[in-house]
This record gives sequence, structure tokens and C-alpha cells, in this order.
Amino acid sequence: MRIGIVCPYSFDVPGGVQNHVMDLAEALIGLGHEVSVLAPADEDSPLPPYVVPAGRSVPLPYNGSVARIAFGPVSTARVRRWITRGDFDVLHVHEPLALSLSMLAVLSARGPVVATFHTAMTRSRVLAAAQGVLQIVLERITARIAVSALARKVQVEHLDGGAVEIPNGVAVAKFAGVEPLPGWPGEVGTGSGGTLGFLGRFTEPRKGFPILRDAFVELARQRPGLRLLVAGPGDPDDLFDRFPADLRDRVTFLGLVPEQEKARMLRSVHLYVAPNTGGESFGMILTEALAAGTTVVASDLDAFRRVLDGGRAGRLFPTGDAVALRQTIAELLDDPDQRAELTACGNQVVANFDWPVVARRVLEVYAAAIEATDGRVIDQEWVGPD
Amino acid sequence: MPSMWWVVGATVLVALVAAYLIWTAGRVERLQARAQLAARALDAHLLRRAAAAAVLAERRYGVELYAAARIALDARPEEREAAENDLTRQLRTVELDPTDPDCEAVIAASRRLALARQVHTDLVRDARTARGRPLVRLLRMGRRHTWPRYFDIDDPTLSVPTVDATTR
Repeated sequence: MRIGIVCPYSFDVPGGVQNHVMDLAEALIGLGHEVSVLAPADEDSPLPPYVVPAGRSVPLPYNGSVARIAFGPVSTARVRRWITRGDFDVLHVHEPLALSLSMLAVLSARGPVVATFHTAMTRSRVLAAAQGVLQIVLERITARIAVSALARKVQVEHLDGGAVEIPNGVAVAKFAGVEPLPGWPGEVGTGSGGTLGFLGRFTEPRKGFPILRDAFVELARQRPGLRLLVAGPGDPDDLFDRFPADLRDRVTFLGLVPEQEKARMLRSVHLYVAPNTGGESFGMILTEALAAGTTVVASDLDAFRRVLDGGRAGRLFPTGDAVALRQTIAELLDDPDQRAELTACGNQVVANFDWPVVARRVLEVYAAAIEATDGRVIDQEWVGPD
Repeated sequence: MPSMWWVVGATVLVALVAAYLIWTAGRVERLQARAQLAARALDAHLLRRAAAAAVLAERRYGVELYAAARIALDARPEEREAAENDLTRQLRTVELDPTDPDCEAVIAASRRLALARQVHTDLVRDARTARGRPLVRLLRMGRRHTWPRYFDIDDPTLSVPTVDATTR
């Protein structure tokens, strides 16, 4: 089948939606489909062969973060040209309600349109105010996918429509069995050693880095050899200024790690800590840590609880509570059996999130959208059962 | 020459109103047509599930499931929702083994039916919203079609132990 996917955010900057789009495209190609991805990007930036650049993007604040998106007459022309040339059986847009290529594509599309909603937008006033305009976009969408229960709830409550819940996938094969960084994760024993990991923008409040910092500073004083490995965008001085001078040599900052290095980083720690305070609709990083076979400690957010199977596949602590986090970390570092048990359960859980499994479910939604557009039922052959 | 400006203004206004009406009429028409196509796809999936259930019942689970499948296949439009719900209930009472091809056919058909139902519900809602607008009612746009009807059945998804038990 010929599939056109539209990513609203630029591939020049890493991000959850961008990775989702790339992994989905690769999984679909792996299942034998023809895929073209349209995304904002400079002509000269290095891109996978299936990506068609749609020109430069502009940074815009959106839903609490900064997103780089493309919108305007030039982009409109490119979107239309891509749709005409692509002759797609189905068009799959991501985040169609952001002013972006996705919205342009929905408005230019003629055939079946599948839309995936990633964010759990809770600022419903904006949605309510723009309802009339959004309706024009929404009614061109044939089938809707929500990546999380929270994103689905937004659909039902604020956008007056249902959505099929299909979780984010994770390329399990890319994460399992990767070599850790040389010299990591190092020693761990009762009362000493151990390595904690944090990945993400440490300056963004919703990522909850200060909670991990407080827990680490307190615990590092009691526990010799405890180390912290931080990766993500940001200025190193800004990071080290947050720690007392005597502990700075126990913090390692990798900076922004490329996607391939992420697996190595996750395997280089004993515990991956996700102290987020909100705004997470799914918790992609947790499935990645589970795929890497790393034990996870996460705040007790709805999204995290669901991924971690209510706490069976990773430990949860009360959101925002640095003391509880410190105790959980200390307990897990001292107990290799419990870590092994969580990891084993994590392996089972993550199999459901493996991309080929997820991509097959997405293909069934494509089929439903195509059928609802031309009224004929597609034979089961090409979307065969798993 | 103020009168000429009046003429120009009125012409522009009429043109804008006309464009809006034509666009709205097209929109109503498109949404109605789409809801009808979705209903056809839903119908096909209902038949397919009932047929798969009948095949399975003949081989393994006997009279009750077979009767439910037959009734769903033969139901008149006004009884159909109830008949399909009965079939869903019957399917939930039997133990389905995903490794058996006939069972797998029923499970897959149910999954596809769940998607068709979801899509149909959304598209009918869109069509009804468009039809219900005051202007559309006033000008009786889309009157060539009957009002789009919901097909109100329970979620036919069957829970199968191995597949995505954790994501529900």
C-alpha cells in the first residue's frame, strides 16, 4: 500500500513525535509498504531516504514546549505537490490540530485521512474557542488514533469524537543487547556505588529534574560511588551550577545524544529515573528504558503507571516527592534481585510495544479508513493477523 | 459616485454569501456521502464477523453460538443492533484459542469490526452536526439523503490473553 505520512515538527530537532514518525515509517517499510514522509527540514540536512523535506521551519511555542514547524503559502504549495505526486492510498497525519504541515495536509487531502493525536492537551479553552475552525479540520479526518489513554480522553471530552488507542511503539531490537558506554555502569553494592540516569531537557520544569537533583545530592553524601549520568540538550555550566561543588565530579553530562546513542546511554545506568511532574501523555522514554533492560523508577503519573503495568515493570514514587524518590533509589540499588525481577517483567511488557506489533495495528486502522472512504472492504490478506 | 460603490459592495456581498452557501452545501453533501460509505463498510464487517462465528460454531461451540450468528446474519434492520450485541455476548462466553485459525478469524474480524464501528460513529456524528446547523436546516440542504443514523452496538472487541493485555 502507498502511505503518505506527515510530521508537523522538524527532523532537525529530536523529539517524541519525530521519532514516532520515523520508527513507524521504518516498521511499515519493513512490512513491505511504500512510505513517504513529509516533514519540515532544510534541503541540505541529512535525512533518511523516505523523508521529503518541506522547507525551513520556524520555532513556535506550543503546548508548553517549543516546536519547530512549517506553515504558510510556500509550505501549502509543497504539501499539495507532495500529495499529488504521492498518489497515496492513505494519508497519515500527526498532530493535525497544531498549525503545521499536518493541518495543511488534512485540508488539501481528498482520500482517506488517518490522524494520530500525541499530546494530551488539557487547555481546553483554546480548543473550545476554535471549535468552529477545528471542526473543518476534524471532519476531513476519517479515523483517529490516540497514543495514550489521556490523549484519547481529550478526544472524547473536548473534540467530541472517539479515537482508537494505539500506544507508541519502541524498536525493541535497537535497544536490546547494545554495548554500554565504556566504563559504565560501574560497581554497585549494598550501601555504595550505583549509577542513575536521566535523559531529557533538564531545564524544562515538567521533566522534574530538580526532584532527581535533590534526591541525588542527599543520597550521594550517604552513598560513596553513586553517580549520575545526564543526557539531553542544555548548557553544561547551567547543569553543574545546580550541584554543590564537592559532588560535581560524580555527575557526567553527555549533552544531546543522537538516537543511536540513546540505547547505549540507557544501558549504562543501573536505574533510569523519570521524575516528570506532568505533561507526559505516554512515557516513550520508559518503554525505551524497558527495551534496553534497564530498571525504571518513575513518578506516579497516569501515563507512566499504564506503561509500567501499575508498577510491576518498574517502581513508581509519588509525583514530586524527592524524599520518596531517594528512598526508592536506595532500596533498589541495594537489592539486585528486585531489579532483576522488574527487568524480567519489563521485557514481557515491552513486547506489546514492539514496532512491528504496533504497526500492524496501525495498518488495520488504515484499512478501516480506506473502507469508510470507498465503501468496499479490503481483503484480509495484506493486513493479516499478527 | 456613491451609487456605484453601493452596487459594487452589494455584488461582492452576494458573491461571498453565494460562495459560502455553495461551500456549505458541498460540505454537507460530502459528509453525508462519507457516512453512507462508512455504513456500508460497517455492514460488510458485521456480515464477515457473523460468518466467521458461524463457521467456528459449526466446528466447535455448537448450537447457541451458531444460532446467535444466524440471527445476526438474518436480522431485519430494526432488530439488527440487538442481534449483533447478542452475538458479541455469545462470543465472550466461549474460550477462544488464538492459535486456532477459525478462532483467530473471529478475533481478527471482531477487531476490524471494532474499528469500522468507531469510524462509522465518528463520521455519522460529523454528518449529523453538519445537517443540524440552522442555515443547513433552513435551506434544507442534503434533503436528498435520509438523516444519518448511528448504529448503536457495544464495543465488539474480544479480549485475548496474549495480545496487548497490558495496554487496556
